[in-house]
Amino acid sequence: MINISINGKKIGLEGPATVLEAARRHGIDIPTLCNHPALELWGGCRMCVVEIEKMPRLQTSCTVMAADGMTVYTETPRVVAARKSVLEFLLINHPLQCPTCDKAGVCKLQDLTVKYGAVAGRFEEGKRTFPESVDDPLIVRNMERCIMCTRCVRMCDNVQGAFAIGVVNKGTRSHVEPFSGGRYNCEYCGNCLNVCPVGAIMSRLHRYTYRPWQMDKTVKTICSFCGVGCTQLLEVRSGAIQKVSPVFGEGVNKGLLCGRGIFGYGYVGSPERLKTPLIRKNGVLEPAEWDEALALAERKMLEIKNLHGGRAIAGVAGGRCTNEENYVFQKLLRAGFGSNNIDSVARLGLMHAQNLLEDIFGQGAAANLISGIPRSDAVITVACDPTQTNPVMGLQVRAAARAGKKVLTVGHAHGLRRHRTHSLPAHIGTEGMALAGLLSELLKIKKLPGENPEFEAAIKNFELPRLEEVETYTGVSAAMLSGAASALKDVSSSSIIAGRELAAHRDARRNLMLLAAIGYILNSRFFLISEHPNEQGLIDMGCAPDTLPGARPIALQTFRERYEEAWGVKLDPEPGLSLMEMFEQAGDTVRAMYIMGENPAFNLPGRKMVKSALGKLDFLVVQDIFMSETAAMADVVFPSLAWSEKEGTYTNLEKRIQKLEKAIEKNPEKKVFLMEDWQILMEIGKRAGLNMPYTASSDIIDELARLSPLHAGLGYGDLAETGMMWPYKGKPLRMGGRIPALPVSRAEAPSKEQALAPVLVLDKPLFHSGTLSRHAGPLLDIMAEAEAKLSPETGSVLEVTDGAMISISTAEGEMALKVKFEKGLPVGAIFAGNNFGEAGALGLFGYELEPESKTPILRFANLEIKLETGKL
Amino acid sequence: MKSEKSQREKTFSPGALTRLEEIKKKYPDKRAALMPALYIAQDEFGWLRPEALKAVAQYLELPEMTVRSTATFYSIYKHEQAGRNMVRLCTNVSCMVLGASTLKGTLKTLYGLAPGGTSPDGRFQLEIGECIGACDRGPAMLVNDDLHTELDTKKLIQVLESYK
Amino acid sequence: MTRYLIPDACIRDIGEYEKTGGYQGLEKALSMEPGQVVEEVKKSGLRGRGGAGFPTGMKWMFAAGDPKFPKYIVCNADEGEPGTFKDKALLKNNPHILIEGMAIAAHALKAETGYVYLRAEYPKEKEILEAALAQAHEKGFLGENIMGSGARLDIQVHRGAGAYICGEETALIDSLEGKRGQPRLKPPFPVNAGLWGKPTVVNNVETFANLPFIMRAGAQEYMKIGAPDCPGNKLFSVSGHVEKPGVYELPMGITLKDIIYDHAGGIKNGKALKAVIPGGVSAPVLPPDKIDCPMDFVSVQKWGSMLGSGGVIVFDEDTCMVQVAHRALQFFEHESCGKCTPCREGTGWLRAILERLETRQGREGDIRLLEDVSRNIAGNTFCPLGDGAAMVVLGFLKHFKEEFSEHIENGCPYGRTGKRPDRPAPVQ
Ligand SMILES: Cc1cc2nc3c(=O)[nH]c(=O)nc-3n(C[C@H](O)[C@H](O)[C@H](O)COP(=O)(O)O)c2cc1C
Ligand code: SF4
Ligand code: FES
Repeated sequence: MINISINGKKIGLEGPATVLEAARRHGIDIPTLCNHPALELWGGCRMCVVEIEKMPRLQTSCTVMAADGMTVYTETPRVVAARKSVLEFLLINHPLQCPTCDKAGVCKLQDLTVKYGAVAGRFEEGKRTFPESVDDPLIVRNMERCIMCTRCVRMCDNVQGAFAIGVVNKGTRSHVEPFSGGRYNCEYCGNCLNVCPVGAIMSRLHRYTYRPWQMDKTVKTICSFCGVGCTQLLEVRSGAIQKVSPVFGEGVNKGLLCGRGIFGYGYVGSPERLKTPLIRKNGVLEPAEWDEALALAERKMLEIKNLHGGRAIAGVAGGRCTNEENYVFQKLLRAGFGSNNIDSVARLGLMHAQNLLEDIFGQGAAANLISGIPRSDAVITVACDPTQTNPVMGLQVRAAARAGKKVLTVGHAHGLRRHRTHSLPAHIGTEGMALAGLLSELLKIKKLPGENPEFEAAIKNFELPRLEEVETYTGVSAAMLSGAASALKDVSSSSIIAGRELAAHRDARRNLMLLAAIGYILNSRFFLISEHPNEQGLIDMGCAPDTLPGARPIALQTFRERYEEAWGVKLDPEPGLSLMEMFEQAGDTVRAMYIMGENPAFNLPGRKMVKSALGKLDFLVVQDIFMSETAAMADVVFPSLAWSEKEGTYTNLEKRIQKLEKAIEKNPEKKVFLMEDWQILMEIGKRAGLNMPYTASSDIIDELARLSPLHAGLGYGDLAETGMMWPYKGKPLRMGGRIPALPVSRAEAPSKEQALAPVLVLDKPLFHSGTLSRHAGPLLDIMAEAEAKLSPETGSVLEVTDGAMISISTAEGEMALKVKFEKGLPVGAIFAGNNFGEAGALGLFGYELEPESKTPILRFANLEIKLETGKL
Repeated sequence: MKSEKSQREKTFSPGALTRLEEIKKKYPDKRAALMPALYIAQDEFGWLRPEALKAVAQYLELPEMTVRSTATFYSIYKHEQAGRNMVRLCTNVSCMVLGASTLKGTLKTLYGLAPGGTSPDGRFQLEIGECIGACDRGPAMLVNDDLHTELDTKKLIQVLESYK
Repeated sequence: MTRYLIPDACIRDIGEYEKTGGYQGLEKALSMEPGQVVEEVKKSGLRGRGGAGFPTGMKWMFAAGDPKFPKYIVCNADEGEPGTFKDKALLKNNPHILIEGMAIAAHALKAETGYVYLRAEYPKEKEILEAALAQAHEKGFLGENIMGSGARLDIQVHRGAGAYICGEETALIDSLEGKRGQPRLKPPFPVNAGLWGKPTVVNNVETFANLPFIMRAGAQEYMKIGAPDCPGNKLFSVSGHVEKPGVYELPMGITLKDIIYDHAGGIKNGKALKAVIPGGVSAPVLPPDKIDCPMDFVSVQKWGSMLGSGGVIVFDEDTCMVQVAHRALQFFEHESCGKCTPCREGTGWLRAILERLETRQGREGDIRLLEDVSRNIAGNTFCPLGDGAAMVVLGFLKHFKEEFSEHIENGCPYGRTGKRPDRPAPVQ
């Protein structure tokens, strides 16, 4: 216990703390400018000075550690005089633009000047001038206002790890800039502008549009872009989001956001939003009344059910829809239409990976705290780049690196190239084989922990390849493998982050078993990349052909009966069709489809097949907020509400259930009447005679909590501000033990031509998520067009230059893309994203089904790359 | 005269690469080789143009911004296209009281050299230096790496005329 | 009086150096346990010659006591203090004494790598030092198995790039690591977490140069030289208006008067003394009635200034103090690293006020303002550079206030033009 006294108040401290932290924890405020709890100590601004007995000089409370017996005074005349002088110094070069500065009202310098009294302008020479920089589409820099606290730079370098901005020059001439002065070449996390205490770095999105005190309301909610589930604050005025920012210290993200989270909200206010239901008449979608559309949907679906049976109907649930909506969705399909043909994007890998890990380690094996990542001794990423797909989780990996932990990347992970300590750069698609090599090396130097004899027996029976085989297949040398293994020798805890490609693989079972084995040996917590904000919720809500809400098998009678009783209908005990099978069988066994918040015609491989499948249906209903490629093919389209316009919950990749708050009331004067997805489904369900007595989304959670053993007892009241990990409370339920057999699969070394042949890789650029981001202006400003990213080395092999237009064709399709060189990408790989309408790269991929889980594995055949002539 | 394009694509010459390799060996951490690498880059590229900074960044595997931020902290590096010969005239206290201010005037009138500027013929670049450690024989200046001391107007001209 | 730092004739050849007893101090040190060497240096009372006068033996003891390895020794040869050129003289005239001193320190601390952070403006000295290092390697005073003792040491020269603040030891360390040379937060101190987080001893060139003598002659002998609290010889760089400017090796505690009149030949051209800065531009100025001040770390402080680097700058009766103060503040503004507010903003402000006085735009209240701004800087900066700037201004005002008032009322009494000077700072 450290005992100190601050302003006469006795304070006892449990652990080490700075004087500033000690004071703040006990309600004594000390003003600061350069200090920030997320950043390392700096001590430059000198605002936080205090008097400490027995120390002749004033001390900066933000840097001095509290020591037993210290007597501190925070507001003596001497202290106040020093703070005044610091303010005077800061103001000599600070322009007095408060009346026009967007920061006015939330500016720390302004607040402090008010608190300590404005200092008369004793400085009479010209102020330092820097032209305002508006070269960047999203970020405006006004360096005259900068007070050199360097918070932005420390944020960029040490937390974000982007190293995109820095202080240039020395002394009074110092200012903050990106490398090329004007436009940023960065990750656009926006965290620099969130930590700027003054108006020196700001967002351009809401420039000069409002003053902070003119906001109608601020609403704390959860981001809609990915499975991390960051907490964000929406500032709303006149029915529109004006600004999004993180909340320091709160949520999974603790005050950080990524570019999508901070700049991507624009899609909500897009003029292209659907405003009325549409019905296809004479081949054309035409606006219709709600009643007519709802009745039509219900009537047609029941007609098909009566004619062909429930199994002729299929549904795709939505990874951006809430738990409540997905619950009602599967209930409508199962109980209303009699179909178990329900699936979702979780089929693309997450579900398979999770199922297998849970078989071995128990339900909730992947329910782990993201904040625990930097606390483990080592972090291993496999077949993923979390800094792109789940950026704020990626930051935790970077934080681990900063804390001196081991970071091993298996496969390509560009965003961690500066942070990893070890890497196994396996060719794309061969990461699992590299794991085999790593496991065999680990087994040589590490003892099995002895906790799970059954699994250990299985591990011992693994037939592992020889290191030479691994090398020919993956390109990873034996030395790299043994180096990585010996780096992991002494770790006592670790975190493993795995991408969906590991499960969307011909050798998925082998890959996942190896992952599990390595995780078992290294005492790992597992994290599965989740690209959609509620991908986990899809699984938990039973939006799968074989499971009911609570993720329990529908084949299990006791379980099924619970739901039958509650819903008052008999359920089909046979699992339904999986995602790709539904489309494959369209027009044949499948006659109608209901798609909620998904765009399969664009977001799935085998695009030609999927589109033609949709065309073969007798009836297609789509709920969406935009006229997506899929909606354009529908017979009935229902407009729905976006994330900030509704209530409900998302389950993030930690299995944390978090509540969305409604920021925008969409139907204030009923000019446009829009419904939340669950309301639309309920209207149809009720017409079909289902018992759906919901008046609010919380009623749905209540029903779920009564039925799903996994959610027993859950209610909105329990969802504390930042949600909870129901029912794990931070610990996985360890009750697995069904050890699947490891298929013996020994890879064949690829031929020389195969090894050198260019490969097409589905890129997941940080700034886009596909359908939504196409409607978010600022994200388009950062990345305006589809591009094919490749390394300069690949460029010279293919004889293309940076910026050239190339046409890529495969058996599936052809598209033109602009080449963008990026150093450090694997040689031979061409990365193309699926984000832009005409050039969505999934149009180039076919697929093949992994037999066990029916996960589609991306495939391409007959790849050809040509220079587009005349477009250089 | 090289075209802009070839300048842009310029990287280190084999000789420079050898020197860089040598330097890297002096330190347990490659970042420590940054300052010496910047000197080499400046020799290679003429001054620390963005391409030079990029080349250093790439060679040492450092972020480009880190390289620029560090480089601009130090005033000896050439941050701009410079004249052929770098004149660093010390005007700090010791040299000043011995007449350095007059020399500054001379440079201006005879060579058109203002502090921070380049002479119209591109022959000289003038930096007003801080103390160069020759106070006992001031006024003093460095021209490139050569020290010249006990300057007066006559000697100043004499010295400068020996640089082309 | 014994001189042991700078010989009469320049010695660059290692053979010559050995003939005068060179490397015997190292031999002696190697025959002792590292702990004994530290003890001996502690006993000698040697104080660091870089400016702060911190006891060298203590510094070593802290570093030696830290269990972390490797340890590093760093020679601070950044010599940026205006009016100082003694480290340069040592490097030029007796480079081996530095190498020997560093080798002794390395042995005492069990360090195997040393760096010399050499200021950019000394390219010739870099060549000289590197040649000497090569010789020492060849002769087995550096490298593997030094003089058969099993010890090893490599010394690398690192060239600075023109930033005065890099003389401050933590800024120097950051600079050596390839960063912007800004002072680090202390604690931890370099002796525990310096270069790459490892225990690091930073000493000035002249400090290292004292070691061979201490080893050879023993702490007892060493203590007989100089002042009681500050033993040994000191190098004084004398510049400005004296007949014989140059570097003088004299015992600590010699008076300023003796330095100026006995050794440097008195004021140039028979003029009268007006003022003297005793320890480089960062030290407050002293008026003629203070030249009886003994030149050692303790005394100079008592007399109202600091010994600093021992850069004695002498001004004759025709020197304008405002001009000198103005130039000094240009220096501080230019060299402020920008990390802390009072120094970054305050030095420029002081310079601006002094510029007004220089250009006949001074007005009433300017002197109060100078004092006020200086006091607001002093005591509240991150490192001593900012403090120094403030103390310098206060020093000039203390002793030459009338001259400042005169500038406001009637302009420069020395008839210098009132034209706005084209100012050098900032360079970039
Ligand atoms: C602004 C500033 C500049 C300094 N410049 C130098 C310098 O040029 N050379 C030097 O040896 N010490 C310089 N010092 C002192 C160093 O910080 C450090 O005290 C010294 O290198 C320690 O060596 P010593 O104990 O041998 O004196 C400077 C200190 C400050 C605050
Ligand atoms: S006093 Fe402050 S700004 Fe000045 S040099 Fe020291 S740390 Fe840098
Ligand atoms: S907050 Fe402590 S110095 Fe800035």
